Amino acid sequence: MSENEKRPQGGLSAFLELGLGLLDIGWTTLKFLGTVVDRLLPAKVAPEPIPESGRAADQEMESESQMDRHERWGTLFVLCFFIVAVLGGVGFVIAYWMGVTSTAVLGGTLALFFGGMGVTLVLWARWWMSHKEAVEPRHVLQSPPSEQEDEAAAFCGGAHEVRRRRLLKWMGLTGVGVLVAMVVSLMRSLGLSPDLSLYSRIWKGGQRLVTLDGKPVSLSSLEPGSTVTVFPEDQVGSERSQTVLIRVKEQLLQLPAERASWAPGGYVAYSRVCTHAGCPVGEFEAEQSLLLCPCHQSTFDVLRAAAPTGGPAARPLPQLPLYVDADGTLRAGGGFTSPPGPGFWDIS
Amino acid sequence: MAKRGLRESSMPVPCFFLISLLMMLASPFAAAQVESGPPPDGGAIFADKCAMCHGEKGQGIAAVVSIAGPSLQAEHDAGWVMTAVESGPSHMPAFSRVFSVPEIRAVSYYVSTQIAVIPLTGGDIGEGGKLFRVYCATCHRTAVRGGALAFAGRNAPALTDKSAALVAGAIRWGPGTMPAFPPAVLDDQQLASVVQYVKFVQHPPDPGGNPLKYHGPVSEGCVGAVGLLILIGVAGWIERGGKG
Amino acid sequence: MITKKLSRWVDSRVHAAKFVKSALNHVFPDHWSFMLGEIALYSFMILVVTGIFLMLFFHASSQTVIYHGSYHALDGAVVSVAYRSVLHISLDVPAGLLIRQMHHWAALIFLWAILAHLARIFLTAAYRKPREMNWLIGLTLLVLALVNGFFGYSIADDLLSGTGLRIGYSILLSVPVIGPWLTFLFMGGVLPNPDAIPRMYALHIFLVPALIAGLLAFHLGMIWRQLHTNYPGPKRTNRTIVGSRLWPSYTAKSVGLLLLVLAVVTALGAFAQIDPVWIYGPYQPADIMAGAQPDWYLGWVEGAMRLFPGVNLHLGHWLVPELFFPAVLMPSLVFGGLYLWPFVEKLFSRDEGDQNVLRLPYEQPIKTALGVAFFVFMLVLLVAGGDDIIAVAADSSLVEMRTMLRVLVFVAPIIAAVLTYLVCARMRLKAASSVGDVQEISVMEERPNDSVIPSEAPLRSQLDEAPDRTCDESSEL
Repeated sequence: MSENEKRPQGGLSAFLELGLGLLDIGWTTLKFLGTVVDRLLPAKVAPEPIPESGRAADQEMESESQMDRHERWGTLFVLCFFIVAVLGGVGFVIAYWMGVTSTAVLGGTLALFFGGMGVTLVLWARWWMSHKEAVEPRHVLQSPPSEQEDEAAAFCGGAHEVRRRRLLKWMGLTGVGVLVAMVVSLMRSLGLSPDLSLYSRIWKGGQRLVTLDGKPVSLSSLEPGSTVTVFPEDQVGSERSQTVLIRVKEQLLQLPAERASWAPGGYVAYSRVCTHAGCPVGEFEAEQSLLLCPCHQSTFDVLRAAAPTGGPAARPLPQLPLYVDADGTLRAGGGFTSPPGPGFWDIS
Repeated sequence: MAKRGLRESSMPVPCFFLISLLMMLASPFAAAQVESGPPPDGGAIFADKCAMCHGEKGQGIAAVVSIAGPSLQAEHDAGWVMTAVESGPSHMPAFSRVFSVPEIRAVSYYVSTQIAVIPLTGGDIGEGGKLFRVYCATCHRTAVRGGALAFAGRNAPALTDKSAALVAGAIRWGPGTMPAFPPAVLDDQQLASVVQYVKFVQHPPDPGGNPLKYHGPVSEGCVGAVGLLILIGVAGWIERGGKG
Repeated sequence: MITKKLSRWVDSRVHAAKFVKSALNHVFPDHWSFMLGEIALYSFMILVVTGIFLMLFFHASSQTVIYHGSYHALDGAVVSVAYRSVLHISLDVPAGLLIRQMHHWAALIFLWAILAHLARIFLTAAYRKPREMNWLIGLTLLVLALVNGFFGYSIADDLLSGTGLRIGYSILLSVPVIGPWLTFLFMGGVLPNPDAIPRMYALHIFLVPALIAGLLAFHLGMIWRQLHTNYPGPKRTNRTIVGSRLWPSYTAKSVGLLLLVLAVVTALGAFAQIDPVWIYGPYQPADIMAGAQPDWYLGWVEGAMRLFPGVNLHLGHWLVPELFFPAVLMPSLVFGGLYLWPFVEKLFSRDEGDQNVLRLPYEQPIKTALGVAFFVFMLVLLVAGGDDIIAVAADSSLVEMRTMLRVLVFVAPIIAAVLTYLVCARMRLKAASSVGDVQEISVMEERPNDSVIPSEAPLRSQLDEAPDRTCDESSEL
């Protein structure tokens, strides 16, 4: 054998061998424990003989008289089901071609057909087919040693016809590795790498809040206890930009100190996308000023910067700073306090 | 002074009966005399007897317990208001013995013309559906069979038996925990649209068969399980006597 | 006459006579619990056939149009072409709604049947050698069925399934490190994604059904080759199979079952409305509905998401969101455990060689108790997934129900496990006391630990394995 076919030495290969060795030791230990337990138990008896096989040896499980049962009335009974089935099928065809569109009629007739036919067949199987018990031997699945050796010999014999096997093996592995790398990279075509839109705070300072109709919102639009869904002017109807604007009684608000100026006239705005699993937080409970998400029933306290007060959400809804401009309409004073929607690994 | 018994009274008994008879005969004329006076002031009656439950402008008052006065601001049907005042539906007391017929007529007319300011016509059902799915389905569910709310054990009620007027009034008023939807959120035309859609979906066409109470995948999954149990029964019948 | 001529014609071209004879004589054991897999198989066939019909009418496009079709309550609504085609199938195509409802009902029954089949295999220990591969394939089939069901109802692009897609997006996003990458890979990152529906459609009608069909072929082929297992009973041993022959007996029973599965599915499709997308309306980003659930087979994940408390995990300035634990970690553990089960059980078992006789559940009290506990756990999660519907239907408080379920999800499986163990132990005692009159051929011996197996030498004892040798011992390959 030439030198370049010697087994490569080195750290990686030794590490692999060590790992495999440890696994092997662990597995052998477990198997040994199993055999120890087994040895404590009583011995087994010899196997029983394999019975004769083939249809001729099948045992009839019923007597002749049992086979003759239901000859007369049974036939009538089975025929009834069969006729019902045929009528159902014919009914379906007629109804369909007559233009009947009712699902109940079409489906009902079809179900009668299948049901009638099924019952007919099962009754026939139960009453007028012999119930014979067949006993067949199970062949041992593991092949005898001679066949296993022949198989190994065939494979090895063929392998021996190939020269420079080790080089070929390494070339094959390299080729496959490169192929896998190519295929995996192609998967990138399926989508894009996460771009900055995931981290966006959506709103820009100065943008007007508008409703689904595009109408701006002013201080007199809502009464305390009312809410409306708003968007930035240029993103009406957008999934991630949707914002819930609520008016509460100003004196009830308990926002943190740095957000005190974010709620002119008792108007507060939060992202409408739940921080749990992304459903729009549509439900507003006017008595205690709670926002509720209908999907998994997370609750957020509107008066306390949408802090989660119940349910499975863990993070508060991002808040939008508001101010009133010269025309009296509400505008955003900046972006959301954090990217809207459910959390992810590098959200901060 | 000693009491004088009836026998010793100065008025003879026949006179007593005669006066009673005359009074009975005269009462229709007395009533007619009341009718022919100025018509009752519906507004005054309303402010006196109705505003305590329904609010000064009929906008509705909610109490902590469910006995509350709904908004009347969409009750355009005077005939229905009359029936309600007379017979007292739900928690409302019956006023048939408190008011006379002209009084009931007057207050009903007042409600249907002065109090009812929310129009119910001119809506578009498609538009109503769109708005419904943004604002209403989140609590009442898409088939208005009511929804569970995760606080204080209160559930959004089913709307299947609510009149258009009641629904319209409730939307503007926001009874109890429900938020109010002022004109800035839903203008009158949009409100009429939403009400039209709600009325439709109270009894939607069900071309697929039994709607399983509109509970969605929950009831569908249960029915599917029943279907499998039936099929297991079928298998048991087919293989009856089979020992495996 | 014709069949004979036809079979001769085919045989002279493929040498089939011997195979056909052994096929017709093939023995299948007779028990109702062996038909659960068949019910699943026939449901799958119904899905394929009805799916082909639906496929010819559905338009997998997210392009938005204004609806002006038969359903007047949606007139003027902005809908996707996909949604509109589903309404067209349901309301305009003759028998379209029937076929669509049959398709959806068949999917629900398909998954219930798989679950029942899985439970039977688990409880009777049918996954032992030589059937471990079939267990793994079966679990994979379950996963594929779950996935295909999810895609199936999501391509209609209605508000209910759109809400579910949104939650699916959030679940993908919650995976640590690679979450954002996964969402951009599978969903293009932005919601609603115009590529989502065409992609799900292609997976739903082609790739996943092809995988299911392929794995099913292997699954059935293995059963054919290895022969079905038997319950313990007279003449039933590791060396024999007892049952009825394929022709004519088992064919009649099986086709009868197929017709009756068809009958049940058709009756459901005829009389029970399912997935009325016209009431839900089209998916729009600002729309949302209460009472939104996935189909029942994903209800356990939904329930886990509702019950699991809002607990974030902060690793430095990285975040593992609260959604990860119930929606990614828990299902992974469940399926991981299921996949590994036969191999874990092998560590504690003294079985040797091929196991062709099933164990009755009461003969394995510990395992059965664990299995029942797991099932009860899943059931509580499933109920939790629909707790808001239950609260409204029973007019009770959701908050109280949720608290009760949070307790029940731990307590109920434990109670179920203990009860099951006691019942099994008692049944084992009773069975052991009547052991004398069973089995003329083999002797049943009581083992101290969990199993009563027919006493016989393992099949392997007559055979040795060929010695392990590399192809070329002297030189390295």
